[in-house]
Amino acid sequence: MTMTDSPPVADTALAAASPRVVGLFDALTTTDHKRIGRLWLRSGVLALLAATIVGVVLTVENSNSSADDIFGGVNNYFQYFSAYRFGLVLLVVAPLFVGLATVVVPMQVGATNIAFPRAAHGAVWLFMIGAGITVVSVAAGGGWGALDGVSSGERDAIALTLVGTALVIVSLLAASICIATTVVSLRTAGMNLLRVPLFAWSMLVATSVWLLTLPVALGNLALIYLDLRGGPGEYGTAGGSGAIYAQLGWLVEQPQVYAFAIPVLGVLGQIAPVAAGRRHAQHMVAVALIGLFGLLAVGGWSQPFFQGGNYDENFVFIVFGLFAVLPVLGSIGAATDTIAKRSADDDGGASASTGPGAGTAGAGISRLLSVHGLGAIGAALLLLAGTVAGLARVIQPWDLGGRTTTTAVMNLVLYGAVVAAIAGIWFWAPKISGRHLPAAMGRLVLLDLVAGAVLLGAADFVSGFLEAPAFGYQVAGSTAPLMAVPSDQNLIEVMNVVGAAGAVLIVLGVLGVVAALAKAARSDEPVEDNPYGGQTLEWATSSPPPSGNFSEPPERVVSEAPLLDTVRENGEEA
Amino acid sequence: MVATTGLPAPQITRPRSLMVGTMFACAAALMFFFSVVGIYVHERAAARDAGDGWFPEGVIELGPSGFIFWTLILSIFTIQWAVQAINADDRINAYVALALTGLFGAAIFNQLWFIINDTGFALAANNAQFLFFVVNGTFIVLLTVAVVFVAFTFIRAMAGQFGPRRAEAVSSAALFWNTVVFMWAIVYYLIYIAK
Repeated sequence: MTMTDSPPVADTALAAASPRVVGLFDALTTTDHKRIGRLWLRSGVLALLAATIVGVVLTVENSNSSADDIFGGVNNYFQYFSAYRFGLVLLVVAPLFVGLATVVVPMQVGATNIAFPRAAHGAVWLFMIGAGITVVSVAAGGGWGALDGVSSGERDAIALTLVGTALVIVSLLAASICIATTVVSLRTAGMNLLRVPLFAWSMLVATSVWLLTLPVALGNLALIYLDLRGGPGEYGTAGGSGAIYAQLGWLVEQPQVYAFAIPVLGVLGQIAPVAAGRRHAQHMVAVALIGLFGLLAVGGWSQPFFQGGNYDENFVFIVFGLFAVLPVLGSIGAATDTIAKRSADDDGGASASTGPGAGTAGAGISRLLSVHGLGAIGAALLLLAGTVAGLARVIQPWDLGGRTTTTAVMNLVLYGAVVAAIAGIWFWAPKISGRHLPAAMGRLVLLDLVAGAVLLGAADFVSGFLEAPAFGYQVAGSTAPLMAVPSDQNLIEVMNVVGAAGAVLIVLGVLGVVAALAKAARSDEPVEDNPYGGQTLEWATSSPPPSGNFSEPPERVVSEAPLLDTVRENGEEA
Repeated sequence: MVATTGLPAPQITRPRSLMVGTMFACAAALMFFFSVVGIYVHERAAARDAGDGWFPEGVIELGPSGFIFWTLILSIFTIQWAVQAINADDRINAYVALALTGLFGAAIFNQLWFIINDTGFALAANNAQFLFFVVNGTFIVLLTVAVVFVAFTFIRAMAGQFGPRRAEAVSSAALFWNTVVFMWAIVYYLIYIAK
């Protein structure tokens, strides 16, 4: 029997700096999670630009109280109205977070690559094909239903939209499986689930919820598609105008819309300790709150087939709406506690703060006002506003269901998610691309996006109290005019102008993001491995990370902030 | 014999990524299936509440669907036989078991084709017949995925990629297969027995 002198090296394929191959061939063949993630992120940013431009046109049209000015008819308006909503969820927010997670999560858990890299790569291309089909079909007169019933001329284009949407959902499911599996089974030694960084944990929760709910939408789509292609007309064309949208609308409404914003809490939980330069004061609480928010975001049950006409009076729906605000509030409280303890340390001259992020109070404030710090705070506040609007929506005496309050919830929550994703892109830019994104431009862009989202959401929220109907509800089963006569038409028109101003600000912000990314792409400024005093494993490797992520295996993890443990062991406490 | 200076090499523990990923895939597949079945149950209940009929009497026979059920029950034994064989490093038995499982899958496609033709249902006839197609079609899609999974596992097993320490792929294929069998149990009861 032959025995060896040293144990065999595990198949972790560490480090080797692989020759960098660029171009289309690389994009088509890569199995490196960082390159796959960048494909997702580029797709998401492009879709964000398109969706926000459509949003501006819609709000400008709304401000004139007529659908005939720009779109040439209510039917066309409806197509773009639904495209904006589904696009924002499926083509923007989900891909942005999937992209961010595909790049960052494997490094955070100390893995050399994402689980099933070929499937992850296939997913991003499937997404691009599905998104392309969806966009082309909507431009060709398709969409998610038609107000005056689906005519034979529209049937093919609408069916194509459904196919595109289904492909997008399948791609998101495949990517979700890769991300969730990475967190569950590829964690490095010592990293149990309670020590997983909060962003990775939030992505595990989010992808789990997506895996349980998006297949329900897939079932809806299959049913509608088959009906359009030769069914009895019960689902695809009958049931009045907008029937298709009515069957799928639960995807963009509470509680399901919260599912796409779960990673906001992860981004907040990840950035707050870095901004404070100390450990997260309530890590376990944050883990529990993110899990709770995930539970309250499961929305597959809320589709019309299972709820009938009593959607707003459903007990579970009301409970979810009432309680969803608690985990968001709690997560903000936990982040505030972390930052406040840092401030207390600074005031008292204590040295509880540790690690490379520690420093003076002035440095702490500076970190808090960094691009990612501002972005995380703004995103969390937008999400809080969205869940508060959702809470108001389920309070029965106010009767806000079917009004623009539902749009306010969607816009606030989803733009909160967009802001969090962009803050994450700025924060992890050294690991994503090996470059810093311009800080001054980043602050401006994020403040602009938050301001735009606040205006957009506030306008819809106020209009809801003035009995302005949400378009989707108004048209389902009727051919009523675009705007019913609410209690105060003049004030609603003012609110519509405010909303349009918010949408314009958002587009400007997104253009700023694109400009910042373009500017950074031309930069060859060297980047530090850990420029912000990050505490988790992605900051233990070089910027940009090598193929295989780590030049040597991470040490056994003993806490949720392994880099602070390393600093402490080396006697480098502040 | 080579001289040694250290302890025997530790056994490498491999992450069970494929099994974990398959669990997530099974959860998603079940939700897809139950969304369609949920709509079927909802619509059937609504039709009955309205005093309308659902399927015409005597059109759906219990026999062929029962054959599918018992075929699938047999396939549970064959797929688990494959798992046991690969764990025991008994490759011949593993090949036979995987091939038999795939064969049962092909037989089920054949039986489903017979049922669909035998009923004479049309997609556009009415809601009940439409949903009959949708639910059975959903099952066919998921069964196809399961058969492809088993086929890939069979090919990889033939290539010698699995053994007692690398049986995860076979176990994962078995998990997905058993999930699909569970789905047919639901379809069998809801559509063919309870009608």
